[in-house]
Amino acid sequence: MRNFRRGTAIIAVTAMAGVALAACGSGKSSDDSASGSGVLVGTTDKVVSIDPAGSYDNGSMTVQTQVYQYLLNFPAGSTELTPDAAESCDFATPTTYVCKIKPGLKFANGNELTASDVAFSFKRIVDIADPSGPSSLLGAMKSVEATDDSTVTFTLNAPNDQTFPQILVTSAGPIVDEETYPADKVLDDDAAVKANGFSGPYTISKYSKNQLAEFKANPDYAGTYGKPKTKTVTMKYYAKPENLKLDIKNKDIDVAFRSLTPTDIADLEKAKGLNVVTGAGGELRYITFNLTTMPGDSAEQKRAIRQAMASSVDRAELAKQVYKDTYTPAYSMVPDGQAGATEAFKDAYGDAPDKAAAEKILSDAGVKTPVTIKLQYNPDHYGSSSDQEYNAVKRQLEASGLFKVDLQSTEWVTYSEEYNADAYPVFQLGWFPDFPDADNYLSPFLAPYDTEKKKSGNFTNSHYNDEATEFADPTMTKLLDDERTDGDKASREATLKKIQDRLASEVPYLPLLTGSQVAIGVDGVKGLQDTLDASFKFRFTSLSK
Amino acid sequence: MATAEVLAPLDQPDDEPSGPRRGKLSPLARYLLTRLALLIPMVWVLVTMVFLLMRVIGDPIQAALGGRLTADQIAERKADAGLDRPILVQYWEYLTGLFRGDFGTTLTDNRKVSDILVQNGAATLELAFWSIIVAFVVGVPLGRLAARYRDRWPDVLLRLFSILVYAAPVFFVGLLLKLAFAPFGWPSSGRASISNELILQDVHPKTNIMIIDAILWGDPAIIGDVLKHALLPALALGLLTGGVFLRLVRVNLLQTLRMDYVTAARARGISERRVMNKHAFRNALVPVVTVMGLQIALLLGGAILTETTFEWKGLGYQLSEYLIKRDFLAVQGIVTLIALIVGAVSFFIDVIVAFVDPRVRF
Repeated sequence: MRNFRRGTAIIAVTAMAGVALAACGSGKSSDDSASGSGVLVGTTDKVVSIDPAGSYDNGSMTVQTQVYQYLLNFPAGSTELTPDAAESCDFATPTTYVCKIKPGLKFANGNELTASDVAFSFKRIVDIADPSGPSSLLGAMKSVEATDDSTVTFTLNAPNDQTFPQILVTSAGPIVDEETYPADKVLDDDAAVKANGFSGPYTISKYSKNQLAEFKANPDYAGTYGKPKTKTVTMKYYAKPENLKLDIKNKDIDVAFRSLTPTDIADLEKAKGLNVVTGAGGELRYITFNLTTMPGDSAEQKRAIRQAMASSVDRAELAKQVYKDTYTPAYSMVPDGQAGATEAFKDAYGDAPDKAAAEKILSDAGVKTPVTIKLQYNPDHYGSSSDQEYNAVKRQLEASGLFKVDLQSTEWVTYSEEYNADAYPVFQLGWFPDFPDADNYLSPFLAPYDTEKKKSGNFTNSHYNDEATEFADPTMTKLLDDERTDGDKASREATLKKIQDRLASEVPYLPLLTGSQVAIGVDGVKGLQDTLDASFKFRFTSLSK
Repeated sequence: MATAEVLAPLDQPDDEPSGPRRGKLSPLARYLLTRLALLIPMVWVLVTMVFLLMRVIGDPIQAALGGRLTADQIAERKADAGLDRPILVQYWEYLTGLFRGDFGTTLTDNRKVSDILVQNGAATLELAFWSIIVAFVVGVPLGRLAARYRDRWPDVLLRLFSILVYAAPVFFVGLLLKLAFAPFGWPSSGRASISNELILQDVHPKTNIMIIDAILWGDPAIIGDVLKHALLPALALGLLTGGVFLRLVRVNLLQTLRMDYVTAARARGISERRVMNKHAFRNALVPVVTVMGLQIALLLGGAILTETTFEWKGLGYQLSEYLIKRDFLAVQGIVTLIALIVGAVSFFIDVIVAFVDPRVRF
């Protein structure tokens, strides 16, 4: 029993000593960001895998952007592809795309980077086909081979596929070291860090998965991004946005990048010593119509209902009230800033609700009002503000007096199954691009397919351009084929305009908002604006303080 | 409490010989063997329940990867994971896997659950340790104080305090603590400041228990930083158990003070302070050790919320992450691990109690 008292005393003394020792420090830790020379970046994104074969998500891509080289890449502030590990890339024939590799490239572990590594990197993504990986991006690639030490030849499924060079910059594009990465399985993160098969602007010097990662500048890197402005960048991974907010507000970190709520961002805009920087947006929020199950007695009536809805929503109000202007109104499926983007919906329906126009459209088509719309949204996949957003949409539609909205929500697991099973007539979806090209906002939504033959195409199950239905659209198919294979910029943009005009007329989707990229930096941090560009790549090389 | 009523005072002479008898197991060995034997069915029931519950809530592959893969690919993944086989075959493979130390692999990021235990388990262990210390430091002296001032205002206030800290949700207490301390620069997230965490990654041998790693590194500033970071999460979680300890010590102490041997001690003219310290207080602490075992399960449950609130990347944090991603194979592995930890800790506490209190082994 004496031990009890002694034990209790020891515990009490230890605790008191601990608190006393802790209190001896200054109010802030002695080693806060301010005292270090590097830049501390905080994020709530998670890394699924450093290995490109096992990930296709923002958190992993941010790491990959820093540590791997790509054949082609986007320099800061540009969406024009420039050679990175490649010396040059071009179509040799309509279905072969050939890249010459720069001589003398090496991975940080000393292994040479050759054409064989490049071919290996693409092949293993397809072979492994990890469910979390980017193999779906390589559907355009029939095969790839290293024809000599410095030449890689891609054979493509379709001739003159202008989107293929863009694929080389996506999550499918990082070049890995053939000698350290297995061909048939994903390399786990610790092994990837240990293997040091990196040839990007940074290498990883310390790594604790989804906790901390320290990046050191790679002195041998000579690619698109140029020499890093900061030698050391540390990434801290947060579980909750409020902790990220608290740390940037206290200036315990230098940069907060993804993802703070609109309310948090609005709050931080008022904080002293912080700069909220916004950049080109890529994310798209939109309503999808299932053309086979939506209200309307005929294809014409269905189209009229969609057009009337397009005339009744107030995107500016959604952006301001729900998203505190961290999103902007989207008047096309191709967001503003992308080459070839237009404002087709604004041209067709105006930028504010027009009740008279909506009423006329419905009346001309013989649609009885109010039209009952069963509108589904998802509360757990597209951000916590979806709830407010779709309640606002319901209010706007009902304010016209032309619609009665039955708003329902379903969790993602069920939602993703049910919208594919035609369970929802009108429903919410969102899109984040794979690469910054207008086609990536069009083909996945408008490409022809056949549900009966299970031919792949439109992923939304809207049945638009479904060849087995009355909603097949050969004109759209032709336009898409034209823009994908047109190497001439001006004529391609003209075709893109025709596609967007047709889309605004048919309205299989109703674009609502496009999201800006937002980062918050403490005073003195430079380069944030340079990296928040339309390439959607967060480059540490631009950052300094 | 009921426990205290059953227990007789420790200071009374023991008529039974306590040494081992020839040809028979000693009472202590018999007690421990019985406990160990009981542990096996308990663990079996736990892991079986986890297995069945994970099957009841639906198909884990569909839950984690639905919407990202085609029906054919989903079927292929199910076959790879063995989920297309009869349930009894799956159960057998699950059990044999556990015997081999294989808790499975996560669906969403291909991590071995046993690796998660190594990387994140130490953080949870450390948090539980600090929380138990807070619980002791808060619960035991305040419980004693409450007993001493029975039914007077300090007792009433302390009883109210114990109910409040026990009833308040741990994430709410955590949030209040953050709001109260963060404006003064007190760290409110993480296990150490960023640069110190980076430094401690170089410690050899690395235990992943931050305070031990900091001590091994030998820099008092880093030790202080680690302790500062531990204070708020330990308070949030420890107060929960501290409230239980407070009431337990109070009630046990009051009951002990009414026992005959205490009255006899007073009759012998022993001072009230000595009666309290030597005769009553020590005996009142024995049930606290027993309850501490039960509180471990509560602490691990509370750790899920505490770890998420304070960015304390332990098992609870990982569990919540995988729950959000609906990676039920990962959840199954981690919950099984936690169940095993609770079982092991219960056994360990039984052993301690057997050593501390000889009556329980007879």
